Amino acid sequence: MSDANPTTENVEAQREPTKEEKIAEMIKAKFPRAEVEVRENKWGRKRIGVSVSREDYKPLMEFLRELDPEAHYSIAIEEDLGEELGLATHLLILYEDAPGVSLIVKTKVPKEDPVLPDVSDVYPIALQFERECMEMIGLDFEGAPDKRRLFLPDDFPEDIYPLRLDEKGISEEIVKNAGHPYLLRRGST
Amino acid sequence: MIKLPLLSTVLKNIAKRPATNLFPKTDPVPVPEDFRGKIIYHVDKCVGCRMCVMVCPAGVFIYLPEVRKVTLWLGRCVFCKQCVDVCPTRALEMSDEFLLATYDKYDKKLRWFTEEEIEEYKRKLEEQKKAKEVAKKS
Repeated sequence: MSDANPTTENVEAQREPTKEEKIAEMIKAKFPRAEVEVRENKWGRKRIGVSVSREDYKPLMEFLRELDPEAHYSIAIEEDLGEELGLATHLLILYEDAPGVSLIVKTKVPKEDPVLPDVSDVYPIALQFERECMEMIGLDFEGAPDKRRLFLPDDFPEDIYPLRLDEKGISEEIVKNAGHPYLLRRGST
Repeated sequence: MIKLPLLSTVLKNIAKRPATNLFPKTDPVPVPEDFRGKIIYHVDKCVGCRMCVMVCPAGVFIYLPEVRKVTLWLGRCVFCKQCVDVCPTRALEMSDEFLLATYDKYDKKLRWFTEEEIEEYKRKLEEQKKAKEVAKKS
């Protein structure tokens, strides 16, 4: 049994780094300030999480595009984190040999100055998600070629951002409810 | 040359009988087992735990704190059966009834435990209370 341990250690040391780990190392080397971690879910699927500052956001996106010219930009999700506004972008890269590398890029900007660089020149589809961010949470994208609204109606008030959790969000007066007959009958009497 | 690939099928089907269900003249197509139809609410079994209020995605239930029951309006029900699954006393169940069209969206047909029934139930509770007090004194 004593010689079993060294062999397992050797196997551990010689284990080929996975695609995820290789890419995580590359991102770490290129962007030392970014927080990179590889997570694994209970089905063994790995995913890289990258948290970058506002300055590193666009260079990282360009770097990923150079890494894989066919990188697939899936979605960008905006979020209200209290004092900050967050943006999470999901990308799938190197998917020629399945499974591809799933990657989430997260950025944060303070609410006083909610500006991020526009990446629609790198990933053209990003413009749709940026337009949604601009109207839903008030996160402005510098240099976006199209800043029109995407989902909200034209008569919606300008200074209200529906997904904000603070005073700029939806107020109680805007929320309407068709009413339960029990409550309606109670209100009339 | 025009190709008519369906022509042979059409000609064959002309000779067959129609495969339709003439609904108002006949019974509707029978529902399968565990069909999710109109909810049935057994008021006497309800203990007022508010689990159905928590789990309902459509806002069918209103909790009545003074009688510790719920009132239902099925005009909003999406027939997801979550309230039936979560109810600890089986006060709610799904029936096979699905012909629920009405002229009024607040119809009695779509309500369970309406205002009148609540008043009646309150009166009954008060009578029970009085009867208990009388029993205690004597």
